Amino acid sequence: PADTRGAAQVGAYSAPAPVTDVARLCVCDLLVAQCDVNCCCDPDCSPEEFSLFTACSVPVVTGDSHLCRQKAAVYSLDVEANPPERIFQLTDQVNPSIFCIHATNYKQALHLRSPEMPTPENFDGLLNEFGSAAFNAEPESWNMDTDAPDPPGANETQRYEYGVPIQTEDAFLRLPSPVVSSWCSDANPAGFLVNQATKCIRSVSVEKCESIQALNMLFYINSSILAVPKSSQLVNISVQSTVVQSLDGMRTSLKGADVLRLPVILDELCLNVVLGVSYHITYTDTGEIIEAAAAFVLGAITKEALSIQQSFQISFAQVDTEPVPLSGNPGYVVGLPVRAGFSPPGYPFPTECLFAALALSTNKHRQLSILQSTPTQDCLAAQGARAPVLFGYNMISGCKLRITAAMKCQPLAQTLLDVLKGQSFPEYVASFGNSQAQDVRDWVPITHLQISEQRISNTLQSSCQIPVSFGIEVKWTKYGSLVNPQARIVNVTATLTTTTLKQLPSGRERTIPITSSVVFTDISSPAEPGYKAWPTINIKLPFDFFYPFV
Amino acid sequence: SSSQLSSLPLQILFYVNGIYYIFYFLATLAMIVYKSQVFSYPDDFLAPDLAVLFLMAMLEVPRLYLGCKGNLREEEAALGLSLGLTVGSVVLSVYLLAWQTYVLWADVVLTAVLLCAYGLESGLKVTAIAAFVS
Repeated sequence: PADTRGAAQVGAYSAPAPVTDVARLCVCDLLVAQCDVNCCCDPDCSPEEFSLFTACSVPVVTGDSHLCRQKAAVYSLDVEANPPERIFQLTDQVNPSIFCIHATNYKQALHLRSPEMPTPENFDGLLNEFGSAAFNAEPESWNMDTDAPDPPGANETQRYEYGVPIQTEDAFLRLPSPVVSSWCSDANPAGFLVNQATKCIRSVSVEKCESIQALNMLFYINSSILAVPKSSQLVNISVQSTVVQSLDGMRTSLKGADVLRLPVILDELCLNVVLGVSYHITYTDTGEIIEAAAAFVLGAITKEALSIQQSFQISFAQVDTEPVPLSGNPGYVVGLPVRAGFSPPGYPFPTECLFAALALSTNKHRQLSILQSTPTQDCLAAQGARAPVLFGYNMISGCKLRITAAMKCQPLAQTLLDVLKGQSFPEYVASFGNSQAQDVRDWVPITHLQISEQRISNTLQSSCQIPVSFGIEVKWTKYGSLVNPQARIVNVTATLTTTTLKQLPSGRERTIPITSSVVFTDISSPAEPGYKAWPTINIKLPFDFFYPFV
Repeated sequence: SSSQLSSLPLQILFYVNGIYYIFYFLATLAMIVYKSQVFSYPDDFLAPDLAVLFLMAMLEVPRLYLGCKGNLREEEAALGLSLGLTVGSVVLSVYLLAWQTYVLWADVVLTAVLLCAYGLESGLKVTAIAAFVS
């Protein structure tokens, strides 16, 4: 057989020979050197272990049932004997059908063929037969060949459909993304209505930064988008906003967003390098693109930098709508952000437009968020990076605070409070994933607690406390029907733990950990099945039933 | 004993053989179709099996015709030619019995009966030729 010949040639590379002897084949023997439960053919089992079995999971092992005559291994348990023991019999199984296979001259009829093992001799042949490219960089369907005849149905008005690559003047709107490895590939098209966010690494060098196209703003906006596939109507990509990120990560938004900033080399740095692009496409309900805007994040690269990470994003919005992403409908979906907001000034006096101004923005700085740990782990150097609180995901993060003797307590406490709570900590959390701002009762206020680590008797009331831990506990319950329960947030408690800052002798410094956490607790009460009332039988005779007697 | 040298058993056997062969051909063809549906039967294994079956069918017609003619006209040449064609048919049916891609039990039974018939026929033909030449 071909496999053993291959084995003789290759030696250590050969695949194990297939087992076809029914007496040695045991499909339930999954644990190596351990007895599998109820596996009567397992050779690792001792007679004591056989006595514990209740049945044989594999009672018969045979070859192909079409064969006229074949050997069968029959395993059974003799429960009458004390202790129960396993019985193994090798019998001949006969297929009484007249169409049973008496003999076969075709080897692969009854056995799977062992694949050919690659050797230095047959590698080229196997590569020609089975090898092909894993990815097509430019599939033929994206060829903008105008000589090709239009497919039937082209007379109908063309429009974009979900997933269709967005076409531009020269090819298609590119959203660079990592393919196979993390390096950016410019061949990924943006699909219509497919919201995507990708991050990839691009290799750069300061000397060549002006010539690398992908670092240049123009590369992403110079070719206009076709409003409708294969049409001549063009939509220019406008620059919506430009944010400049400095070398230490600080971001500033620039005024005068429509000014194009091209990479420029200055003092061993290359400025205005594209670090991120966020496209926003507006479309109509007939599948036509009417507006396209791009928001850029520009940064600088130093001489030592050999690669930078670029992030790209595309989102779609229908014209004349303001999409508000829901976190569930109606109950929260695990993994979606917890929606939060503020009440307008003037609360709690009830007015009609009380919660109408509740901030439901998608801006991540206004959602319920916790501190995001940074690689430097230094609390004071944190750039205000916050991670959104996702429903159902318990999170814990933190940073280290280096206290020196020179630090003053009160400003330190305020800074730490900002670090832990963020710039704008919300006041209300939506009870359901689709709570509207107008529904007052659907919003849960956040309860704040403050506890002090030290015992009260040891500390003076006037001594300054610094916050060291901020924990948010979200209590939620299952709500609704028994078969489709919806998650509903019932209570949100934010606990701030403070400790006294002991004055350090000068020159000494201490490091204390600052933590922030989010915990989701399920406080559902056990469900009570409700039964509908029994139907009542309502029989009434027609009023003239006893006519003419009544 | 009459002066008739034609062998009556041989004639009966030709007649029976003809009918049986039609049944055998149709049954084997049907079984090959069944095998190709139920089992894995690639084209380069199916082609030789079908070729052998049709070749055997094409041999059978002249074989029986020459045999009948030779027996009735007491011509040893025709009978001898028929005997030669029988050898070919025997080889082909041995192929169908032993070297087919899938040999079902029904194949074995039908082909064995056919081979018995061929064997008996060959014996009777040899006797008839001996009777004609002497």
